[in-house]
Amino acid sequence: MRRVGCLLLALAAAAALLTGCAPEEHEEIIFAMDTVMQLQAWGDGAEDALTRAVQRINELDRTLSVVNENSDIWAINHGQGAVEVSPDTLHLVELALELWRDTGGALNIAMYPVVRAWGFTTGEYRVVPEPERAELLEYTDLGRLELDEAAGTVTLPEGMELDLGSLGKGYAGDQVMDILRGSGVTSAIVNLGGNVQALGSQSDGSPWRVGIQDPEDESAYLAVLEISDLAVVTSGGYQRYFEEDGQTYWHIMDPATGAPADSGLISATAVGASGALCDGLSTALFVMGADAAADFWRGREDFEFVLVDQAGTIWVSEGLEDSFSLAQGYEDRTVEVVRR
Amino acid sequence: MNIRRITRMALLTAIALTIFVAEAQIPAPVPIYGVKLGLANIVTVWAVFLLGPADAAMILLARVVLGSLITGQMMALMYSLGGGLLCLCAMIPLRKVLTDRQIWVCSVAGAVFHNIGQILVAIAITRTPSLVVYLPVLLVSGVITGLFTGLCAQFLHERMRKLLRL
Amino acid sequence: MRSTRFWVLIVAAVLAVSLLAAAVVRLASPGGSVAEITVDGQVVERIDLDRVTEGYTFTVEDEWGSNTIQVEPGRIRVLEADCPDQVCVRQGWISDEVTPIVCLPHRLVIQVSGGTDAGVDALS
Repeated sequence: MRRVGCLLLALAAAAALLTGCAPEEHEEIIFAMDTVMQLQAWGDGAEDALTRAVQRINELDRTLSVVNENSDIWAINHGQGAVEVSPDTLHLVELALELWRDTGGALNIAMYPVVRAWGFTTGEYRVVPEPERAELLEYTDLGRLELDEAAGTVTLPEGMELDLGSLGKGYAGDQVMDILRGSGVTSAIVNLGGNVQALGSQSDGSPWRVGIQDPEDESAYLAVLEISDLAVVTSGGYQRYFEEDGQTYWHIMDPATGAPADSGLISATAVGASGALCDGLSTALFVMGADAAADFWRGREDFEFVLVDQAGTIWVSEGLEDSFSLAQGYEDRTVEVVRR
Repeated sequence: MNIRRITRMALLTAIALTIFVAEAQIPAPVPIYGVKLGLANIVTVWAVFLLGPADAAMILLARVVLGSLITGQMMALMYSLGGGLLCLCAMIPLRKVLTDRQIWVCSVAGAVFHNIGQILVAIAITRTPSLVVYLPVLLVSGVITGLFTGLCAQFLHERMRKLLRL
Repeated sequence: MRSTRFWVLIVAAVLAVSLLAAAVVRLASPGGSVAEITVDGQVVERIDLDRVTEGYTFTVEDEWGSNTIQVEPGRIRVLEADCPDQVCVRQGWISDEVTPIVCLPHRLVIQVSGGTDAGVDALS
């Protein structure tokens, strides 16, 4: 579903290009990490930098893929004992462990077997019954994962499988930003399948306008954030789901229950300087729910949030108060500003 | 300050205030922000011309402060002060190059600068510099209302001259 | 002392220039109409009046007061406000950039500008 949206976005961008845009705009649209990615950069050196950025994304895709038999993740999941991995993988597993601890387990990169049992990797969806869930959760205790920084190895306990899907796109975005910045590009925006990351501001100096999708209407956005030099990442139940007996089951699993997260939220957006962090946190906030997410945010300084609950209320952390506005047609929505 | 002068200023302030409050009661003919006749301006122009800058400034100040208090629009105080001060700044030097028959010119200049002052205050308070596009409309309105109040002041002066033997 | 004719010419010139400027503001507009509502200089809402198909109202509340704003295809107005002077309410509908609505007590400005809604640069 989300891919269709991205394709439409890409088509719209292509149409905008044809009808004439600033001459120094450069754009790449690729398919990687199981999603459509759009990269736009302005100015001298942008074309070269984008080419290298695309190479880097493809390299990370090969390294982090859970289905590619030559990837680090495949090696970790199917290997015996300590498996040597690339610095990228090592860094991400470290970050994932840190977030797992910080979020009280709300972000867990070992949920892959659970997600698979529910059918989200194959499309053969089924509601996993309680005893089976408990059994699957036994293999998700990240405290038992061994990481040897010096040797650059990761060791998984028997039965555990990792999937860095909740961090990979954000990390790729950070890498793209580094490459563009290093090449002297001062204005760029990339959309890696809904992970939006901006470098600097628009070429005319105004901030980027990033729309937050309406979880209940994929063709519309309910709010706009005006941002510069930030990552905006949204996790929503609308991105991948199936319905059975009138009940909706989405792909974001609560690591505490082994079932789709049922926190009252239908969308969670994290905004901050680091794409990888925001990627992981958007999932974690979705699992936590509005109250726990607000408490978690009060203990940190490195991100802001926008949450949408089932009643349609939008919760915005105070750091975004000035950059947040409701989109056309959504002026009536209740907005609660969460303060420290 | 002699008693004659104080009495004269008090009288004029009272007249200006009455006109101001009365005008505030009737709906503006064109309900656009900053566009109004400004009948109290008649008194200011007349005072600038015949009593001098110091007296005119005091009458204006008293009228603006009391007027805001009476109509209960303290926000309008800032706004009237900005306009009023700029208006005086334009009228005082002009007075020196105008004859008794050209009082109305002083009023037009006053009204135009009053509107420029209002725009500057509105831009400062709402922090919206783009409000400057509003200026042409307000200038047109300023010229027309300034002309009206100026002619009123002109006629007033011709009658008062005989009456007060000034 | 200048002749009265001189001053008549000056006043006429000021009037002409102002009228011309007002006309230029209106004609220089690229077409389309986007209403931008700002409070204390911050944009709180941007509405493409050409894209409005059905009228609706909403309320902008800030620390200075509240204004209920009504939108219809191509035009916008303040329907209700709790400000003392009510100038914003009495101004009525606006549809172009010539006369913005200003509610000074609430620091609220509604300005219509040419162009169409810029939309967003990316969707998350």
